Amino acid sequence: MERIDKIKNIIQALGEHKDSQAAIELLTEFGTNSAEDEIRELTAQALIKKNTHESLRVVLISKGKGINDLSARVAMTSINELLSLKDKTEAIKILDDTIKMHSDEEVRNTARSVRALMTFAS
Amino acid sequence: MQIGKISLHTGKTGKTTSNLQTKNLTTNPFGVSFKGNVIQADVFESAEKKGITQNIGEKSKLFASAVVSGINNFNESFKSRMNSIVSFGKKITTNVFDTLERIGNTEITIDMEKVKNTIFPNRQYSVKQLANKSVEDLKSIWQDLETECI
Repeated sequence: MERIDKIKNIIQALGEHKDSQAAIELLTEFGTNSAEDEIRELTAQALIKKNTHESLRVVLISKGKGINDLSARVAMTSINELLSLKDKTEAIKILDDTIKMHSDEEVRNTARSVRALMTFAS
Repeated sequence: MQIGKISLHTGKTGKTTSNLQTKNLTTNPFGVSFKGNVIQADVFESAEKKGITQNIGEKSKLFASAVVSGINNFNESFKSRMNSIVSFGKKITTNVFDTLERIGNTEITIDMEKVKNTIFPNRQYSVKQLANKSVEDLKSIWQDLETECI
């Protein structure tokens, strides 16, 4: 088994892990800071699937992570995952707060775009 | 006519002589010629000394003694073989009982997870296996994989 496949499985296992808080911390620490697009993409997906306040904050308001990632592939995958959530309540709430209060304009603009998409999708 | 000594050459039965030396003996009516040599068999003397019955008796005695000694030898070798087989069987039985006793007193624990992971090294990286590990363990595994990359 290749190294990347092992890491993919670890990310997937963390997404399903019972210790959700510790799993989110590990995904944030290792996954979102990875140099490899594929790992960041999978990490963003795993965090969004968790659909908790802590996990969504990482991918919605952190610069360079999730929907704000410099890689278009990672950003688009994150947006798609957000749009496919059944319960979008928490995500919309965080996006609204980000649009209103975030210090970085670029992050606010991205949040606004995604918020608009989610409005159309729901 | 006097038949004094029919046997002209006693004590040397079956001995062949050359043609030249035995020319005078060709008158012997009992001489048997074989490839030009005369076999000088003294049939009368041997027939007088040992009768056929006596010969058979002696031969049967010899045969009987040979058979008896053969049987004795066979019995001895059979006994020694049997003894060695019996002692070997006893030894094996003792060893087996000792081993069984030892097994009975020994607790054997096999970690099947470790065995399976040894046989299938990728098994420990399956999502199911990883999800059962603690986050700390997953962190160390991930760290090792990142180090491997460097």
